[in-house]
Amino acid sequence: MNHWQYLTILAACLVITLPLEFGIGARVYRSGRRLVLALIPMFVVFVAWDLLGILRGHWWYSQRFISGVHLGPMPLEEILFLIVIPICGLLTYEAVGRILMLARTPGRLRYRWPDGLVRVADQTRPHPVGRREGRSRNGSDHA
Amino acid sequence: MPEYTILTLIGIAAVIGWELGWARTGVFGSVRYWLTMVIVFFFQIWVDGWLTKLSAPIVNYDPAQLSGIRFPWDIPIEDFGFGFAMVTLTIICWIRLGPKEHR
Repeated sequence: MNHWQYLTILAACLVITLPLEFGIGARVYRSGRRLVLALIPMFVVFVAWDLLGILRGHWWYSQRFISGVHLGPMPLEEILFLIVIPICGLLTYEAVGRILMLARTPGRLRYRWPDGLVRVADQTRPHPVGRREGRSRNGSDHA
Repeated sequence: MPEYTILTLIGIAAVIGWELGWARTGVFGSVRYWLTMVIVFFFQIWVDGWLTKLSAPIVNYDPAQLSGIRFPWDIPIEDFGFGFAMVTLTIICWIRLGPKEHR
């Protein structure tokens, strides 16, 4: 199982952050084109940095904790790391933005699949309709 | 100065310079961004802490290429600069690709 360690950590990062997309309502995975384009410059720069680090001997990987699949000198895990962690960062950024927006929006907090957390206008409050009408008929609203 | 330390300082400076000089998303002035980074660093400590722990490291470092400060646990302090640059660059690009009114 040791060879799965690094991959397991990356999978855990994706699983733990998944509720940010579908629970809180970050729209990162659902903005596929924007996501891919946002990752490209970072990916190019950090693959270069990572390759430099490996080739210059700044760091290396314990063979017993990685799958053994390599693309050139880079373990598959390290390439996935450079995609997974920035995605987690974007999910966090979008989730924080959503929570800050929800905090200053009036209305009742609701969960709506697949949007996530939303505010709904107060008039949709599920008060018993009968009571409200009854009060109106009695004229008690104007009393 | 050790090479990884130098590259980390260059990485941090390059991202800050790119934002302030060209991208101009205003991200460094937003509460949203700094809250995000606090959360990112908190989780980096757990993930990176596991990757770099000296008792059974997944990633090994040449001590000669580091500043030598490894905190918390055994995380090379440079890793936080690497993470800052990586996540910040992604967020800046993400904002620039988003709806114009949110820039």
